[in-house]
Amino acid sequence: MTEHHDSGTGPPDEYVEAEIHRLLAEDPAVAEQGISVVWTERGLVLYGEVESAHRRAEILRRVSERFPDVPVSTDIGVIRAQAPTDVEQLP
Amino acid sequence: MVIRIAAVGDVHMDEDVVGRFRPALDELPQHAEALLLAGDLTRHGTESEARCVAREFGGLGVPVVTVLGNHEYQCDQVPRVVKVLEDAGITVLEGDGVVLECTGGRLGIAGVKGFGGGFAGRCASDFGEPEMKAFVKTTTESADALGAALRGLDCDLLVALTHYSPVPDTLAGEPLEIYPFLGSYQLGQAIDSAPTALALHGHAHHGSERGTTPGGVRVRNVAHPVIKQAYSVFELGDQVD
Repeated sequence: MTEHHDSGTGPPDEYVEAEIHRLLAEDPAVAEQGISVVWTERGLVLYGEVESAHRRAEILRRVSERFPDVPVSTDIGVIRAQAPTDVEQLP
Repeated sequence: MVIRIAAVGDVHMDEDVVGRFRPALDELPQHAEALLLAGDLTRHGTESEARCVAREFGGLGVPVVTVLGNHEYQCDQVPRVVKVLEDAGITVLEGDGVVLECTGGRLGIAGVKGFGGGFAGRCASDFGEPEMKAFVKTTTESADALGAALRGLDCDLLVALTHYSPVPDTLAGEPLEIYPFLGSYQLGQAIDSAPTALALHGHAHHGSERGTTPGGVRVRNVAHPVIKQAYSVFELGDQVD
C-alpha cells in the first residue's frame, strides 16, 4: 500500500508513482518494467534488479530529472551472471 | 533416457552488458545439450541490440532456441531482429517447433511469445469493445498455435517455451493486479493438450521459479532476475541416480 507523502504543492503521491512507473518503462533510456516504487519517510526508494550499474545510474538520473523536488534513492541490484552450481532433476 | 537443457530469459542485452554472460556460456556445453531463451533478449527490440544477443549467445557449441518477448516488439523491427538471430544460428520459434537430436533422445521444443489475459476466474473475455476483443484474440491465437505446434512434434521429450506465463504459480511475488499482463491460462491449456514434460517462460521479474499447470506439467520461470544466474539447467527423463 502506498504511504501518503507530503509533497507540498506537487501532484498527489499516487500520480507521481504512476508517472514514475510509466517513465521507467516508456523512457528509451530506461525501458525497465521490473522496478518497484516505494514511498518511505526518507522519500522515494526504487527497488529491483537490472543488468548493469550503468542502467541503475540512468534510472536514478532520469527519475531525479523528471521530479527534481522529490528525494529519490535506489536500492537496485545488478543481477549476477555466474554459471549455475546445480542441476534440477525433473524425472 | 536423459536430456539436459539450459534456459534463461529476460537478459535484455545491449552494448553495456555484452560479455557478462559469456564466461558462464563458454562452459554451458559441459552442462547441457541445448540452450533455450525465453524472450526479452533485448531492451527495445532494435537490430543493433539483436547483434549484441547474437554476439553473446551465438556460437556456443550447442543449439540455441528462442522465442521473442514483448521488448522485441518495442521498435517495430521484429523481422530484422529475427534475421540477425537466425544468421547467428539461433532458432526463433513463433507458433512452430523444432526437434533436436540429443544423446538421450529427440528433444522437441515448441514456442510462442504468448500474451496476457489472466487466469481462471480472473481473466479477460472476448466481449465488448473491439480493443478488448483484439486483446483476447491475440492470446487465443497464440495459445492455439502453441498447442498445435506441441501436438505436431514427433519426439521423445517435449518442452514448451513461451515468454508470457502459462500459470499464476510462477508469478507469486508480482502484484496480483498485474497478473493479466503477465500471462494467460490459455497457454497452460495448450501445454496440457500435449504430453509436455516441461514448460519454460520468463517475463515476470518479481515472480518465483516453480509451478505446475492444472494438467500436472512442471513450469519454470527462468527470467534472469528470478534465477539470478546465467542460466538454469534441467535434467529431463528417467534419471538412474
